[in-house]
Amino acid sequence: MTTEHDTHFGFKTVAESEKAKKVAEVFHSVADKYDLMNDVMSAGLHRGWKRFAVNISGVSRGDRVLDIAGGSGDLSKLFAQKVGAEGQVILTDINASMLGVGRDRMLDAGLNVPALQCDAEKLPFPDNYFDCVIVAFGLRNMTHKDRALAEMQRVLKVGGRLLVLEFSKVWQPLSKAYDVYSFKLLPLMGKLLAKDAESYQYLAESIRMHPDQETLKQMMADAGLSKVDYYNLAAGVVALHKGYKT
Amino acid sequence: MLKEVSTHVIQHLLAQNAWSAPLLQPFAGQAVQLNFVLFKTALVILENGSLAIAGETATADTTITIPPSLLLRLMAKDEAARLQIKVDGDTHLATAMAKVLSHVRWDYEDDLSRLVGDVPANKIGEFARQTAGSAKDTVTNLADMLSEYWQEEKPMLAKKRHVEQFNAEVDTLRADVERLEKRLNKLAKNP
Repeated sequence: MTTEHDTHFGFKTVAESEKAKKVAEVFHSVADKYDLMNDVMSAGLHRGWKRFAVNISGVSRGDRVLDIAGGSGDLSKLFAQKVGAEGQVILTDINASMLGVGRDRMLDAGLNVPALQCDAEKLPFPDNYFDCVIVAFGLRNMTHKDRALAEMQRVLKVGGRLLVLEFSKVWQPLSKAYDVYSFKLLPLMGKLLAKDAESYQYLAESIRMHPDQETLKQMMADAGLSKVDYYNLAAGVVALHKGYKT
Repeated sequence: MLKEVSTHVIQHLLAQNAWSAPLLQPFAGQAVQLNFVLFKTALVILENGSLAIAGETATADTTITIPPSLLLRLMAKDEAARLQIKVDGDTHLATAMAKVLSHVRWDYEDDLSRLVGDVPANKIGEFARQTAGSAKDTVTNLADMLSEYWQEEKPMLAKKRHVEQFNAEVDTLRADVERLEKRLNKLAKNP
C-alpha cells in the first residue's frame, strides 16, 4: 500500500522522491534501443498509433505544438511536417539520454525542432501558449500525474487540445493472453534485444499500474479539460484521450 | 484498427475537397451522429476543418437519420426526399455536415497518378468515365423501354396523365359526396 509520500514504480512501492530517479535509470538504459524495442513489442503498430494521434489532433499549418516526454521524436517529426515553417514544435523530455536521441534525429531530418530537457510537472512555458500538447507513452512514468495534467492544461490556449496516448486496459477476453505477453515475452525480448530484462519488466508493470480509460478521462476532466473523449486502439492495449481547454 | 483506417480515408477525401474545411471549422469539437440505412457512426469535427470518427464516449451535438425508404429517392436526386431527412439537435451543424457529405468527391485520378503517373491516370480516368457514362445510358434506355412496354403493350404501370385524371375524378367525387351529405342533413332537419 502506498502512503501519502510513496508512489508506484511498477509493482513496487517507492518514495516519491525516488521514482523520477528510477524511471530515469530505466530510460537511460533503453534509450539506444528504444525504437527497435517499440517496433518489436508492438509489431510496428506504435507508428500507426502515433500517426492516428496526429490525425486526431486537428493541428494545421502555423500551430504551436508541445511534445512532452517526446523521447526519440517520432511525434515531433510528424507534427513538424503538419505545422510547416510558420508553426512551431517543441520536443521535451525529462531524460537527457532519450532527448539526445530525439534531438539528433530532428537535426538529421533537417527539422527545426528545439529540444528541451524539462519536468512535465513544472513546464517552463507561459500560460495559454500552445494549440496542442501531446504526451505519448510518458504519463504513466510521471510521479504526480494530476500535477502534470494541470500543467499541460495551463500552457494550452483556450480551444487548445491535450492528447494523451498511453497504454491502457485491454479488452477483457484478451487480458490473459496480454498478461502472458507482458510478463513472459516482453522481459525475454528485452533481454535478447536490449540486454535489459529488468527495464522491460518495469515497462510491463507500469502499464498495469496506469489508470484505465475511464479513470484517466476523469483525471483530465479534474485537471480542467472539457469534452474529454478517448479511442481504444488495438482492443484497448493503448488508448488515445483528447480533451479541450475551454 | 477500423477507426484509424476510416479516419484516414475520410481525411484523405476531405483533403482533396479543400472547400469543405471552412464550412466545418466553425463547428470544431462538435460531434454528429449519422444513422444511415446500413450503418451508424459518429463523426467529430476537428480544429483544422477535417473530420474523424468519434471516440468511444463522444456525445453527439446533432443526429442525422436517413430512413431506408428515402435511400432510393435520395440516390435518384429527389429534392423532396432531402426535406424528409430527420435532424435532431443543431440544424446549422447538420446542414454544414450534409452539404459536405453530399458534395464530397473522390479525385481518383489524383490518387492513381501517384501510382502510375499523370498520363496513364488520365487515360484510365477517361476510360472509366466513358464506361460509366455508357452503362448509365444503357440502364436509362432499358428503364425507358420497360416502362413504355408496361404502359402501352402490357399495361401494368399507369401513365402520368391517367393518374392525374384519376386524382381529379376522385376530387370531384369527394366534393359531390360532401354536397350530397349536406343536402341529406338539410332534408333530415326539415322533412
